[in-house]
Amino acid sequence: MLKKRIIPKFLLCDGRLVKYRQFFSDERQAGNPVSTAKVYNDYGVDEFIVLDIIPSEDSKAKVRDIIKTMSEEIFMPFTVGGGVSSLDDVNALLRAGADKVSVNSQAVRDPSFVADAARSFGDQCMSVSIDYKEISPGVPRVHINGGREKTNHNPVDWALRMQDANCGEILLTSIDRDGMMSGYDSDMVARLDEQLDIPLVVSGGCGGLQHCIDAFAAGASAVAISSLFLFTDHSPIKMRSHLVSNGINVRASKTSRN
Amino acid sequence: MLCALGLRLDKNRVPAENRWMTSVAIIDYGRGNVRSVFNALDYIGVAATITDDPAVIDDASHILLPGVGACGDAVAALNSRGLPEILHRQVFEKGKPFLGVCVGMQVLAAKSFEHGTHDGLGWLDAEVHRLDPGPDGLKIPHMGWNSLTPSRAHPVFDGIKTEDLVFYFVHSFAVTPSDPDKVLTTSDYGKPFVSALAWDNVITTQFHPEKSQDSGLEVLTNFARWVP
Repeated sequence: MLKKRIIPKFLLCDGRLVKYRQFFSDERQAGNPVSTAKVYNDYGVDEFIVLDIIPSEDSKAKVRDIIKTMSEEIFMPFTVGGGVSSLDDVNALLRAGADKVSVNSQAVRDPSFVADAARSFGDQCMSVSIDYKEISPGVPRVHINGGREKTNHNPVDWALRMQDANCGEILLTSIDRDGMMSGYDSDMVARLDEQLDIPLVVSGGCGGLQHCIDAFAAGASAVAISSLFLFTDHSPIKMRSHLVSNGINVRASKTSRN
Repeated sequence: MLCALGLRLDKNRVPAENRWMTSVAIIDYGRGNVRSVFNALDYIGVAATITDDPAVIDDASHILLPGVGACGDAVAALNSRGLPEILHRQVFEKGKPFLGVCVGMQVLAAKSFEHGTHDGLGWLDAEVHRLDPGPDGLKIPHMGWNSLTPSRAHPVFDGIKTEDLVFYFVHSFAVTPSDPDKVLTTSDYGKPFVSALAWDNVITTQFHPEKSQDSGLEVLTNFARWVP
């Protein structure tokens, strides 16, 4: 049976690994993405997500170089995004070694973009990234442009629209929970999972192994993790054995069986 | 610690002096991330070329047909480059080992029902149907790691322990052959689907060995060594 996925999420700023809280506060440098990816590769994570958070033409070229280098030695799927706004951008990332391309702001700005890209490159290549925060209690709204710009979309409705546009996967990130390590928004996962027919990757808030169990129980296909791996002594190996002992079907890496 | 991990990472690399006399033609039909297949073969020390040139394909000892995207679209792309006849000659007349990956497996079927009805290459009496989400409403695409249940041994899976037969999949359609003897492995997604087919000098996988870490590299290594 299909296994639940554990996916380190790398945020890049000018080609370096960084991590914030709630997208903007408490910037921390987290090192070189390629060497960090190699360590996680050996721990047997299931995929990588790499997002350029302040995209410019320069930084996008750096990201392509990083993906090219990673994909020469790391043989697992890469989802890459940040500033993807044209079919040429999608194609350039796929050619650099990305397996899936993550689209966020452009999906809102041009409602036909995701459908066009899915038609050109295949549904399975298109991952739509949805960042949302509560603008008042119980009122979540999708934000674009790295969380700076509010839209009027409700994240659940928006995800379903993107599913109709033939995207292959949703990456759902809670801005409020980003970097806070207080747990995923499992309620939102459950609400979305009920209606969504494509895989859902949940992101934002993982601070412990129980948070992953909760997210999977709520229906997530995969958990995206950054702070927990970057700043604590939790490793993918430890996480995996904990999840297995809690009855969750994850891949047993060779490393973890040694 | 980093050093130790680095060494492990290199364990699949083959020293230059030990490289075998294999050359793999990775068929380029303008679709999919063919670079990752090249990278994986290069990593394990197998000479490979991404090509649609009949002369280069003719020089190769092994043929690999990668694929991402829709089946009908892939067949059209192969046809527009005149590749089906070239591949047929290499595989059926010259008997070269052939590996078809994902859509490179699906195009061999006689008929596909992805986005309408399309004729495949017809190397195999088989149909390509959409996966059934079933009563549990399983997510489609079937995306992620899943295990294989082999129905028999095959040189391409040599030396891989049963518990390591876990590979990366990303697909919404799967091949159903009329001849059950050609089924090499099945995998379970709500119900069993065919995850690898093999007959004579042909093996096809619905999963992506080039994206399946160590187990995938072992499959590619075995394929490069395979002399059917």
